[in-house]
Amino acid sequence: MTPGLRTRGAAPFPSTYAPAPGHRFKVGERVAVKRRFPPGHRRTPHYIRGKTGVIERICGAFPNPEELAYGFDGEPKKVLYRVRFAQTSVWPAYRGPARDLIEMEIFEHWLEPA
Amino acid sequence: MSGTPSNRSAADIGGDDAGPVDTLDRGMKFWERQANALRSVVQRNQIVLVDELRRAAEDLGDLYSKLEYFERTTLALRALLIEKGLVTEEELEARMAEIRARFDVPDEMESPIKRGASR
Repeated sequence: MTPGLRTRGAAPFPSTYAPAPGHRFKVGERVAVKRRFPPGHRRTPHYIRGKTGVIERICGAFPNPEELAYGFDGEPKKVLYRVRFAQTSVWPAYRGPARDLIEMEIFEHWLEPA
Repeated sequence: MSGTPSNRSAADIGGDDAGPVDTLDRGMKFWERQANALRSVVQRNQIVLVDELRRAAEDLGDLYSKLEYFERTTLALRALLIEKGLVTEEELEARMAEIRARFDVPDEMESPIKRGASR
């Protein structure tokens, strides 16, 4: 649950971590990004939809930007996760080392158990 | 309004071929500084949100990739101020005509809104 950074000494700037009670996924859990293509302002890029990764951290709960984008208040807040993917699983033609990772922050409503 | 069956937004270009990246810093044009200052003030005062600006920029559709950064953000701001009823299209056009009439605006200082009309 801890963001893992800025825990020692005086923080140079305030952490943006927000509590996320009732989060659905836990750190280390495998998740798949939903393969959905709804219209509108969406915060999950196409290239990651349908891919499988692992929850790296829980970033907190934040107003839903996909609602804020249209003038609504973004409530209820959505839990944001940092999800870790193997680059080789994201890009079929990836030629870098197999250990290379890409981490992306993805809201809970875009994720499902893998 | 992506115009594609998959609803991919104009800003969602991850994985696409982009060609060489232009890293030359050209500074900011006069109108870009003015427009950016206005955008900054209305955003700081939460009259518009960054999420709304992003959405309005994406709504530019095919125009998005043809425009420069400040052209996109300025057209997005214009759309939002009209959408929120803070200014009308007519008021904006009238004020622009009034200001333009005061002096001969050089092309490089011209706003994208006038040029957009001929696109």
